[in-house]
Amino acid sequence: MSTISTALRNFKEPTKDQLTQIFFSIPTAPPNEKDAEKNPAEEIEKMDINAVLSLGVQGEEDAYAGKLYIMAPYLAFASLDRKSVRFSIPLSTIRRVERLNARAGIYALSLSTWHGAKIIVQLTSLRPTADLFCSLLRDALKVELQRGQMRAVKGFVKTCYSEALVSTTSQVADNEREDGSLISEERPDAAPRESTYHGGLGLKFKFPGDPKKLREASKIKLWTQYLRAHGRNLTLLRYPQCTRLVQVGLPNRLRGEMWETLSGSIYLRFSNPGFYHKLLEENTGRSTTSTEDIEKDLHRSLPEYAGYQSEEGISALRRVLQAYSFKNPELGYCQAMNILAAAILIYMSEEQAFWLLEVLCDRLLPGYYAPSMHGTLLDQRVFEALVQRCLPIIHDHFQEVDVQLSVASLPWFLSLYINSMPMIFAFRIVDCFFCMGPKVLFQVGLAILKINGEKLLQIQDDGGFLNLMRDYFASLGESAHPTSPDPRARAITRFQELLLVSFREFSVITDDMILSERRRFRSEIIHSIESFSKRSAIRNLKSLGRFNKEQAGLIYDALYKAMCIVPPPPDVPPPPSLISTSGEVGGTEEKPETRIQLRTFQFFLSEIATWARDERIVSNGFQRRIDREIAEHEFIDRLFFFWDSSCRGALSFQDLIMGLDGVMFNDLMENIEWFFNLHDKNKDGFLTKDEVLTLSETFLFIFRYEVGDAYLGAVSRFMTNAFEYGDALLPPSEEEPEKNEQGGEIPPTVPTNQPYLNLATFRMVVLADEVLESFFETDLSASFRLEPLPEMELPVSSSGLLGDLWSTIATDTNKKMFNMFTDEIGKTIGKHQVVHRPSIGRYTKLEEPKARESLLTPSMRHSASKSSISSISTETTKTVASAASTSSSTTLSVDVKSAAEKGQLPSSESGFSPLPILHAASLAFMERTPFAIDDAKDDEDDSDSELDAGENDDQVMDEVDAFLEAHDSGLTDADKEVAKDLIHAKPVK
Amino acid sequence: MTDAAASGSVDKSVQVKLVLLGEAAVGKSSVVLRFVSNEFQANKEPTIGAAFLTQKCRLEDRVLRYEIWDTAGQERFHSLAPMYYRNAQAAVVVYDVTKATSLEKAKSWVKELQRQANPNIVIALAGNKVDLVHASASSPGAPSSSESEDEADDATATPGETPGSGEPESLRQVPREEAQAYATEAGLLFFETSAKTGEGIVDIFTEIAKKIPIEHILAATRGAQGRPGAAGGRAGSQTEGGVNLDATAKPKEACNC
Repeated sequence: MSTISTALRNFKEPTKDQLTQIFFSIPTAPPNEKDAEKNPAEEIEKMDINAVLSLGVQGEEDAYAGKLYIMAPYLAFASLDRKSVRFSIPLSTIRRVERLNARAGIYALSLSTWHGAKIIVQLTSLRPTADLFCSLLRDALKVELQRGQMRAVKGFVKTCYSEALVSTTSQVADNEREDGSLISEERPDAAPRESTYHGGLGLKFKFPGDPKKLREASKIKLWTQYLRAHGRNLTLLRYPQCTRLVQVGLPNRLRGEMWETLSGSIYLRFSNPGFYHKLLEENTGRSTTSTEDIEKDLHRSLPEYAGYQSEEGISALRRVLQAYSFKNPELGYCQAMNILAAAILIYMSEEQAFWLLEVLCDRLLPGYYAPSMHGTLLDQRVFEALVQRCLPIIHDHFQEVDVQLSVASLPWFLSLYINSMPMIFAFRIVDCFFCMGPKVLFQVGLAILKINGEKLLQIQDDGGFLNLMRDYFASLGESAHPTSPDPRARAITRFQELLLVSFREFSVITDDMILSERRRFRSEIIHSIESFSKRSAIRNLKSLGRFNKEQAGLIYDALYKAMCIVPPPPDVPPPPSLISTSGEVGGTEEKPETRIQLRTFQFFLSEIATWARDERIVSNGFQRRIDREIAEHEFIDRLFFFWDSSCRGALSFQDLIMGLDGVMFNDLMENIEWFFNLHDKNKDGFLTKDEVLTLSETFLFIFRYEVGDAYLGAVSRFMTNAFEYGDALLPPSEEEPEKNEQGGEIPPTVPTNQPYLNLATFRMVVLADEVLESFFETDLSASFRLEPLPEMELPVSSSGLLGDLWSTIATDTNKKMFNMFTDEIGKTIGKHQVVHRPSIGRYTKLEEPKARESLLTPSMRHSASKSSISSISTETTKTVASAASTSSSTTLSVDVKSAAEKGQLPSSESGFSPLPILHAASLAFMERTPFAIDDAKDDEDDSDSELDAGENDDQVMDEVDAFLEAHDSGLTDADKEVAKDLIHAKPVK
Repeated sequence: MTDAAASGSVDKSVQVKLVLLGEAAVGKSSVVLRFVSNEFQANKEPTIGAAFLTQKCRLEDRVLRYEIWDTAGQERFHSLAPMYYRNAQAAVVVYDVTKATSLEKAKSWVKELQRQANPNIVIALAGNKVDLVHASASSPGAPSSSESEDEADDATATPGETPGSGEPESLRQVPREEAQAYATEAGLLFFETSAKTGEGIVDIFTEIAKKIPIEHILAATRGAQGRPGAAGGRAGSQTEGGVNLDATAKPKEACNC
């Protein structure tokens, strides 16, 4: 009925390198095979270095101090405050690198990009470091040249609208690009660029909003200037003005490309040409659960937009969503992705949208759309915690009236506000989101609550909360201060107020803070998701058998643990050729259900059945521990297939419940029958001679670690008796002819695969032996034990420096090494002792119970039968003997009881958590006046639409300036002087 | 301003929180839409987490204000459902009569509600899309042109189905008797409905209204009544279009908007 996923256990905190890559929006893993094949020796080292960045054009921008990173195939820079200035450019767009001849002691490079921008970086680290950096850069550039990426740039930039924008307005820019290059093999073509740029549905179906009101023309003008001076698409340099321009809203025509550039999805598109179309082609006509789900939602995605009332829009949406579900089948499709995809397709082409969706699901909104939606739940928890800190009064009121924040805020995050606000406003939030990162969602969310603070304190229930939010979103276009006497204040819309509050009041919310908050709550969320799915798995069982819910829970835990260790193979979708394209019939198939393979089953059983594990009690004078290994035996495989009632070669949770139910509640007679049936492969009610032997081996396997010879004796008596009785009870008709043929001397031989021993006889033989009788009466059932497992350590629970340290120390391999080390010492001082823990442990002393008198009367014994036993069971007795020798040599004097008790203390330390300290620190950091209604400043001016274009531009810039305070470039005046000088510096020969 | 004042019976308006659950594409949203605005059309508001709608009803001398939480049906939203069904006084669990697995899912929802939700919750089981299995019953009253339009607009309709083309009974995968027997056993209200024709829709909400311990809710929420925040601003437009639950026989007349 249900699927069980252990995916959440595999989460790993990103490393420092990965965090840097995430910061620079650089693809973290090589997405295509070409990169994976790359020789690791060629792998260029990563390196960062202190540097001062300035533009090669005088007076354009200040110089900024920061760090320059080489992460092949990218070069990235971030200013010290990590937000004012940054770039991440592919090395293949760098056309020329020169060392500048400047004042003594200054080490500076001039980089020319494809777009003709000249970047001057002054390496301020020590000389050898700078030299090393340069050589790394040189090597990395060479690799890129060899890969032919340099040549790909030219074709690629043609797909970007910014090229058309810049070139139509100025031919001069083209000429400036003409200077030759040291590295490039080909010169940029002077031929006019055709307009082959990618675009979205908006080009045909119009963009939402009134272009005049949005002041599209002014925005385009400002952007054209900016892009011309600072590079564009692949080589965009992000200066403070870039962020400010984004905050006043991107112009519609440029929006798609800027989203792509700001989010870094452009790098994916650049390095995977043709991937999207190939993916679609390869999966043509394929039908999966995801494609069915997608189909249901196509007409529910921004249905009010004209493009989605046409087949063109719908099929583009379908292709993008399907392609993503093929690319990432584990995630597949989640409702809300349709909203995102529909939104971005208005502004970008399918291919662009596909890669942006990839970046969204993978990096920007991690885990939001996963099957467990853990990312969504986690961020909701984080948001709640932020509300509690920043807006405690609202938080307390919500608690008091039992209103859940998530009922409203969940869709905000899940659909990036697109589903909540009028589109034109939501897209401006999306602009900022791509530019400034996921923190924007939290900042805006907090601002919404804060602005509506007084009304929120009046609400009494979830419904009231939702209605209030709905009304607020509907009024975003209205004036924020309709009664103000100042016309400039009146002109400020509620949406502008919202953005101001978001970025002013809540600028304390940083990406680092979000990351650390996520770390704080992650294990809590994972735990609650897991216990939720455990509860529903148990609830969804068709039958609990004779178990109560707690016992079923223990079985689930054992299953879950086994799945963590040996994950079942992913649900392999049937090959597309087998399914006819009419998906309706396939749609009514049963739901996917998690089933485990034999290997996982072995782990599962080892948790439950004492004989399914090898436990060695090791004491070496320092420690006493239990090493547990998974036993492998044909018997376990047999059990696996015995429980596989539907013959799928895999067991579900239900199968396990029913299987255990079939043995754990049995009495003596039922157990004997169960054991008999287990070995009666063809279910004809008879064991063959082979099966009797197998059964005996099973006995030996189960009893392999028992103390003393009692069980060994019992098994050998069992075999003697079984064959004796079996032969005795053989129908005479079969014996006669054989005797006639072979003469009297030769015993009657039944072919080893013929029916031989029935249940009644088996029962008789078993009951003839005290040891076996007690085994079937209690010990067999009792060998299945449902014990609470120690809480599994979450791999993510550790955080902070100490946590990292601990997790690196306490790895499994280190533990093993420690164990080996102590073992060695123990051996040298003669205290090393290894003892196998018996599975049943009934006998702790060497004492053999007496065999019962045989039930057979002497008259029933055929003289011939003895030889039949000996002939068949020679090999088995050999194994019995060897088993006896090995086990008796090691395990003669064990204090089983105490060993078992000690065994409950495996070396599972709970990880030390430095969370309280972190928590306190961040609390202190967040300490600020919680609820001062801010009066929006007047510098947010966009009143008169009658003004001419030039003034209008200024006003846009006023608005722009309103968003950000002056940026400290982190340089002294003297440094700035140096940076200015560099502009005029000549290259070194 | 508030709906309570508009209807003139402040103390008689009872708020009932109702949640819709069920497998994806069984027509939960369509059922709500039919009930709330007596329409059958594309869902303007895509369901993310849950859509929230309200509808006022009259039952004898009482006015009920249904607060309807229409949850997302996709399996992965399941873990979010408790957020929506907590404190709910009523639930409508919807399945699709043409899809056997949807009844299984409905049963598991019922189980979950009975164990996790409000202990006094009134649960109704609704077998939707019944128009697909008796084609003859779906046409009277509605002109055929509007019907085909409805079909095209139904985003959650099972794709590829052509109602009226040959043996309609074969589409049915859940016999009425089976579902009825299950509902009786589990103590649920049971209806077969069609959001498309309106069949049975109002009946669900009427029967739920009758079964809900209204006095109990009134006593519990009286304190909250009259506060400005408690009543949503949207209700004003809906007071006129309230459903009179006494007129249950003809669904078409149920709503006079």
